[in-house]
Amino acid sequence: MAETATSPTAIAWVPRGAWSGSTRAGSFGAEGVSGIIATLLGGFGLATLIAGTGGASSLSQAVERRLGIVLPATPRIVRGQTHDAIWSGPEQWLLRAASRDGWSALLGELAAHAAVSEQSDARAALRLSGSQVRKVLAKGVMLDLHPAAFAVGDAALTSIAHVGVQLWRLPDGPDGPVFEILVARSMAGSFWSWFSASAAEFGCTVTAG
Amino acid sequence: MRITCPHCGARDAQEFSYLGAADPKRPDGMAASAAAMAEYVYQRDNPAGRHRELWYHGAGCHAWLVVTRDTRTHAIAAVEVAKARKAGAAAKVGAKA
Repeated sequence: MAETATSPTAIAWVPRGAWSGSTRAGSFGAEGVSGIIATLLGGFGLATLIAGTGGASSLSQAVERRLGIVLPATPRIVRGQTHDAIWSGPEQWLLRAASRDGWSALLGELAAHAAVSEQSDARAALRLSGSQVRKVLAKGVMLDLHPAAFAVGDAALTSIAHVGVQLWRLPDGPDGPVFEILVARSMAGSFWSWFSASAAEFGCTVTAG
Repeated sequence: MRITCPHCGARDAQEFSYLGAADPKRPDGMAASAAAMAEYVYQRDNPAGRHRELWYHGAGCHAWLVVTRDTRTHAIAAVEVAKARKAGAAAKVGAKA
């Protein structure tokens, strides 16, 4: 045989962020002070927890015992030291971990109480802040996000420009109101198309979180 | 038109999909006559006024709802979770047995 190559071509598997095909750190839109700060989030653990009929209390107890957070019964986010629980429909929640350390083991434990589905790389997550954040969201969100109607910790499932989103409000930061938004990873490009067009007039700084 | 989802609050109708009348009951399996089955599948009232109908909150919590709507004005008198109604019916059947 003439072929002498014995080592296969080296393939480098590199994790690819959910936003990597759509955007990157930088800025766009109006010059001057950015009215919008968009932080691209990554590296978190995410899973859906769906309780079976009558199983919500056993799941809730297991989560509270293990993580010290109580699953919300209404559209809210409950935040703990390392994990957050976000209402995701009747008897359904999203569990988010700040890091993926011990994540598989945790999900294995919770699987005794609920249908658990790992979703860490299935969603693109964005944190939005800045003085103009409500003006941008008002272009796409059909909900009233005024502070009197949408309090810190409130969460919602809805759609923006026909893209299904899950969003919630965090405590106000130095840049003003803070919202986080999840979209299906496959819709990140479509979502960004809406967002970049809507935020441009206010000026937007994009950072990787 | 806005529908007040019992889980999510008031939402625009475009978040929901309409199915149809909520009250027709499927006849009992193979025992039903062809006439009864045809009645169930095809015959619907077309009221000018209160109508109980199924809506699906597809862009929100994915719950099925029973909405009581006035077909002349779109005024909504009540919104219930369909699953609760189904569970209630099952409980009644269980109690009889």
